[in-house]
Amino acid sequence: MTGLLREIRFLSRDSAALLWLGIAIFIAVVSVFLGLREVSSQRAELDNLIAADRLEREVVMGLYQDDWGDVAYYTFHLTYAPPSDFAFAAQGQRDTSPWKHNIRALALEGQIHETDAENPDFALVGRLDFAFVANLLAPLLLILLLHDLRSAERAAGRYELLCATATSRGSPWLARAALRSSALALCLIGPLWAGGLLAGTEAASLALASLVVVSHIGFWWAVCALMERFGWSSPVNLTALVGAWLAFAVIVPAAIKVSVESIVPLPDGGEILFTQREAVNDAWDLPKDATMEPFIARHPEWADYTEVGQPFEWKWYYAFQQVGDQTVEPLSLAFREGRIRRDKLAGSLAWLSPPALAERALQALAGTDVAATLAYEQQVREFHSVLREYYYPRLFRDEPVSNASLEQRPQFRGTSE
Amino acid sequence: MMNSVFSIAREESRLWLRSRLALSALLVFALLLTATSTLTALRMSAEHQQRTEQQALAEETFLSQPDRHPHRMVHYGHYVFRVPPPLSVVDPGVDAVTGQSIFLEGHRQNTAMFADAGAGANIGSFEALNAALVYQLFVPLLLIAIGHGLIVREREENTLAPLLAQNVTGVMLCLGKWIALAGVTLVLLLPLFVMTAVAVARGESLLASAGLIGIYALYLLVWCSLILLVSALVRSRSLGLGVLALFWLGAVLIVPRSAVETADTVMPAEGKLETDLRMQADLREVGDGHNAGAPEFLQLQANLLAQYEVDSVEDLPVNFRGVVAEVNEADLTDVMNRYAEERMALEARQARFAESFGWLSPVVAVSAGSRALSGTDLATHHRFLREAEEVRFDFVQGLNRVHVEQLDYIIDINRSNDTVSERRTRMSAENWNVLDEFSFQAAPATERLTRATPALTMLSAWFLLLTAGGIFVARRIRP
Repeated sequence: MTGLLREIRFLSRDSAALLWLGIAIFIAVVSVFLGLREVSSQRAELDNLIAADRLEREVVMGLYQDDWGDVAYYTFHLTYAPPSDFAFAAQGQRDTSPWKHNIRALALEGQIHETDAENPDFALVGRLDFAFVANLLAPLLLILLLHDLRSAERAAGRYELLCATATSRGSPWLARAALRSSALALCLIGPLWAGGLLAGTEAASLALASLVVVSHIGFWWAVCALMERFGWSSPVNLTALVGAWLAFAVIVPAAIKVSVESIVPLPDGGEILFTQREAVNDAWDLPKDATMEPFIARHPEWADYTEVGQPFEWKWYYAFQQVGDQTVEPLSLAFREGRIRRDKLAGSLAWLSPPALAERALQALAGTDVAATLAYEQQVREFHSVLREYYYPRLFRDEPVSNASLEQRPQFRGTSE
Repeated sequence: MMNSVFSIAREESRLWLRSRLALSALLVFALLLTATSTLTALRMSAEHQQRTEQQALAEETFLSQPDRHPHRMVHYGHYVFRVPPPLSVVDPGVDAVTGQSIFLEGHRQNTAMFADAGAGANIGSFEALNAALVYQLFVPLLLIAIGHGLIVREREENTLAPLLAQNVTGVMLCLGKWIALAGVTLVLLLPLFVMTAVAVARGESLLASAGLIGIYALYLLVWCSLILLVSALVRSRSLGLGVLALFWLGAVLIVPRSAVETADTVMPAEGKLETDLRMQADLREVGDGHNAGAPEFLQLQANLLAQYEVDSVEDLPVNFRGVVAEVNEADLTDVMNRYAEERMALEARQARFAESFGWLSPVVAVSAGSRALSGTDLATHHRFLREAEEVRFDFVQGLNRVHVEQLDYIIDINRSNDTVSERRTRMSAENWNVLDEFSFQAAPATERLTRATPALTMLSAWFLLLTAGGIFVARRIRP
């Protein structure tokens, strides 16, 4: 106990160590604050959008009362994935992948790849979120805190004396390193829990996130301890440690990215749109049966309603929108599965880079990882098919538009609402 | 005097060549730079080729469409691709985070789709490593690692006093050491020379390429001067290293992201969906051009009847539905362009604001300047969006002209009667050549250089300030 107190006293007099810890707590607080602000601005944006979307739909309902074709053509439906209560800690994919779409009953493939992205300059630099602080900054700060524990004493000529007077060989260094590592972990976890309390995060998420942070810091402590064994001078030690950081945090992830993307190729996105457009547009010039046959294969319940007498009929129009999606389905599925496989492979390879592993873990807890993006995309697809299921009977049976019928129209419901 | 300066520089280089640490660090960076340069160059060249081919294919497909009603072609639409400029092999810039192609059609301005970043493997923050990032973020680390001891080492090893006694002034000593570190910088710039040479061979202007090399050289020299200044000021190598590490941490990791967060806070931008929903009301006021009988077009109808002195739309020498489509497209486009320009202006303001953080961190300045010179900055993306819009408007209006002049109104309004009537509304495919060829080019080199001027100014200021500080300290150097 006295040993610990003595170490705390030492730490409180070490101005360099206090500076690094001060930076850690300052940046952690700032990052949590910025994350909370970003989440609340996303929520506010969603509230605005939901209100505007409802208003817009009412206007459209007033304008197109004649037939279901018009109604389906002009009515958009807002779909969205609200930020989770832990999203403040890791922005993750929400910077570059869509989490809101305005969709209608036309071919989905032409709509689902739209991105409502922010300023590309911002996406390029990235956000100052907690995950960034914990995964990239914290290891460097720990390195700065630990790199000269022994070497500084050695340079000051006290090393032998300290070793000789200590009860067991490792203990003063172990206590010192443990104290500094835990101090750094506290500087990060404190603001995280404060942010979690403000955001109403589940304690389990916070506990798991803290575990991630602590294990990650533990890893870097081990790296520092390992380097120390070489007995280098402080500058050499620091250089080597920063080199290790560069390797684990930058070079290995970049190499993983390059290899994953060449091992798992994706169909070209442009190809999906191109194929879809050709399918949809060719339908205009093809005999109506060429559209209706593949449509009926998917929707046999409308087999008795496939007569298309006019050059243009809405049911035929929506049928070829559906067939357009069907045509591109293999590509679209390959695109989706490719992303899943890339993510899985990246997840396994991330074990080679603890910072990347920690980043992915925090994103998973925050619901801002690739899986969350894909889940939202799937939700949009499901909602779109519910929308189609709603319109098809009305289009194929040529029902009159009525308010009673309109009220049964499906509404998108966000998951965590 | 210069002789002794150079011999100091030579001596320092020899020391690095003898030091295993310096040598291995140099080797690692040489490998890293070569690898990232090669990978970036290969990737961007492949992108260049693929998008050029896709562009040609899109044009070919459009032109080979069969006879159709011209408005069908308006909805058939067209694709344009943002072909990366030659210097993107150095700095791909926003290429990966912005969509590379846009679908162009009537009455709508679509967003650029399929940004690489959305489909890539998710592995953390610096995952998309490229040569430009290595130069901007990590080469300074190498310079710090080998340069932090330049002066303070002499002090620690008590060789400073004998040196200064040998008729070597502090300024000469610092100049010699600076030249040695600058020499390393020059060697490290070799991969950049090679890549810009590749770009020049592919038609990039010499001016922009020289500017790009210049801005990276200036940037790394800023670090050289800073390292020398710190090394001359501190009493121990550890302290010097700590100070430099702190500066690097701030300049590379913290300030750029703070710039983004601040710009986002000070001038928030609404999302595109929000803008679109706001725009809907304005668009509705213009009317739906598919419905020529809508009240919005009564005035237009009256004007036309008066102009041609006829009593009914059937008697007009032009197709009234076509005229409505044409006028409506122009009006819709005005509204859409107004919103698009507002949005782009705001994004540009945000970018400029974030760039002004270059006064706090040379990293922010060099990355903005590098993107501007490479033609991979936000302004280039906006240029692409504007050019795409021009293509869109031109071909849609070209088709609408065909609708107005060549398709008879009576035939047109009877198109839905039966298959034969529909067939008569199909116009010859020769008309599809209203589509212009599109090949995206970055702005001319002089314009890019102008855009990089603020960055160059900031870096020059950094350099002058640090060098002046270095000279000031060098003159007062005491053992």
